[in-house]
Amino acid sequence: MSTSGRARRRDRLLMQALAVLLALLALSPFLWLVLMSFKTNAEIFRFPPRFFFEATTANYAALWTSEFRNSFANSLIVSTVSTALSLLIGVPAAYALSRWTTRGGGTITLWILASRMAPPIAFTIPYFLVYRHLELLDTRTGLVVIYLTFNLSLVIWMMRPFYDQLPRSLEEAAWIDGATLWQGFYRIILPLSGPGLAATAILCFLFAWNDFFFALILTRTEAMTAPVAVVNFMNYEGWEWGRIAAGGTMIMLPVLIFSFVVRRYLVHGLTGGALKG
Amino acid sequence: MNRPNRRSVLRSGVGLSALASGVLGAPTIVTAQGKPHAGTTINAACFQTTYFEYLKNYFPEFEDKTGIKVNFNMQAFPVYNQRTDLELSTRGSALDVINVTFIYSGRWIGAGWVSNLDPFLKDPKLTPAGWDPEDFAGGPQSAMKNAKGETFGFTWEAGAMILGAARYDLIERAGLGLPKTFDDLIKVCDAVHNKDNVAAFTADRLHHWNWIPYLMGVGGAVFKDPPENLTPTLATPQAAQSAEWYANLLTKYGPDGVLSYSDDQAMRSQISGRANIRTQAITWMVPLAKHADSTVQKTVRYGLMPEGPKGNFPGSNSHGLGIPAGSKKKEAAWEFIKWALSKETIAMVVKNHGYPSVCRLSIIKSPEFKQVLTLNGQDVASMYLDVLQLGGKTGYMKYRTVPIYPQVGDKINKAIERIATKQQNAPDALKQAQAEAIQDLQKAGIKIDT
Repeated sequence: MSTSGRARRRDRLLMQALAVLLALLALSPFLWLVLMSFKTNAEIFRFPPRFFFEATTANYAALWTSEFRNSFANSLIVSTVSTALSLLIGVPAAYALSRWTTRGGGTITLWILASRMAPPIAFTIPYFLVYRHLELLDTRTGLVVIYLTFNLSLVIWMMRPFYDQLPRSLEEAAWIDGATLWQGFYRIILPLSGPGLAATAILCFLFAWNDFFFALILTRTEAMTAPVAVVNFMNYEGWEWGRIAAGGTMIMLPVLIFSFVVRRYLVHGLTGGALKG
Repeated sequence: MNRPNRRSVLRSGVGLSALASGVLGAPTIVTAQGKPHAGTTINAACFQTTYFEYLKNYFPEFEDKTGIKVNFNMQAFPVYNQRTDLELSTRGSALDVINVTFIYSGRWIGAGWVSNLDPFLKDPKLTPAGWDPEDFAGGPQSAMKNAKGETFGFTWEAGAMILGAARYDLIERAGLGLPKTFDDLIKVCDAVHNKDNVAAFTADRLHHWNWIPYLMGVGGAVFKDPPENLTPTLATPQAAQSAEWYANLLTKYGPDGVLSYSDDQAMRSQISGRANIRTQAITWMVPLAKHADSTVQKTVRYGLMPEGPKGNFPGSNSHGLGIPAGSKKKEAAWEFIKWALSKETIAMVVKNHGYPSVCRLSIIKSPEFKQVLTLNGQDVASMYLDVLQLGGKTGYMKYRTVPIYPQVGDKINKAIERIATKQQNAPDALKQAQAEAIQDLQKAGIKIDT
């Protein structure tokens, strides 16, 4: 191997080692959390901490037998349903706004962002009072509606640039071939926007999944979500550190799986719409 | 086949009675039987705490006795306070019994969000004389009253600040005893710091609770004359001197990371034998002797909070049960409070579960309670009572229940952090805290001296 080849190989190895080191650094809080979830409280507070310890699954077992199980299910249901509804309503809206050529289209698109123009806390009291009046407090439906409200603008604003960059001639060709407007969208346009859909879906899911504030204010026991349930392990007289770590790990798991499944589309999806000049 | 139990028999009895009353058109028999609220469901809420964890086991007794079903919901401390504050401020009727949280008691009572319980107490039909409201210790109970002396809650928990030395053996080995004064405390810390890898002192980051007894001990105060005159008195030489002294106590003698410790982390630092002395409410001190994970069960010793040159001002606080103003089931709620805080119920919880922070004097002075709080041969029950009575006598804890204290307390926390991390010197940090506190007070429309 030539000298320059060896140098290139050495540089590549060096870069890879650096990448692994950076990844480890970035992931260390996550690794710490996962390790904590397999420790007893006494082991968690042992100083100096031991690298090798007797692992226990007691924290996970305790989660399974506590109300956390229902909260986890609530989080899954609410996040999935609100994401699906946001896409169902938001994607055709984004397509329509993209193809609408009047001057009013831009104004409407801007006003769609209104729900994101103020911090969530500004909406707290009105939402709380309306929800109490409508008996939506502590219901999954109530949470789905809230997340839908906030995610719709995200879907429309993320998906519209995708449709803007898709040539109209594609759907026009389909129409000439006898497709209806809906068929043109469903069979031609929608499959082409797959990466954008994946990226948008994951952002919507993350917003609903990670939300603490609205779940804190608008739920009590029945619709309580996992992020709020984890905080409930912070008892007045002492925190259940092992369960908090196990709960945190469980909360991260679906997001990791979801991101892993759609990772191919994620980067492409997040940058795809930006190509339109 | 299922054997009939007491509850199913009672349920059948209630059902048959109701049927009979319907058929005969007579007034309900359940009322005549002394269960005027039978069939009522009340919603109660509190933060997560062992007292109600224990009490939940006895709810069936209450339900059998009164026919009232209790939905008791417990949440984390900040979650509970946030939700209840919102519920009360919007005059909701979702809750019938609430925990009146100490730091919010002034705000909730002052705003009229909690029901006055005096009418319940004065009505012999609603409150039998034997319930004895005077039996609740005066210090903790004062947080549940307004300026007119009307009662808005009854206390179930009192925090009394004492000193706990997790590794008293190290202090003894140094030829010293438990510190009785601030100077003693420094002397002890100097002698034992890092012996056996144990930090001499530990605390949590709630400086507006932990530091104030030290501030008062040198003659300082948070407000001029609470609750009447809330002019902050943080920018004073005593306050600056005390804050610097306290910040030094934390940074010089505390374990690594002490400035970010939560309550639980500070307790764990003692339980795991990493830190020695802490001055904190008894609730976080008893586990050193009793918690299964404690490595210091045999070496822990307790003492009163050390005195400053101007006296001893151990922190005391309390949490009570009250009825929201918006509740539509106030009488049923009162039935629950009466039962949950009766002498018999509290005695049962103490006896069966060893709960250490009760507020009824008759229980605190009982042999059972003394037995529960005799730790390593020390009569901690007496210390507990001393602190509760001290707080009640002079009223020095009034600063902590003024509605604006959570905001002002936050400024104090930040000032102590700035001093401890050397970002600011003590006089400047407290001057800034004073200015910020004045802004908070003015925003809240509170008049202060100019």
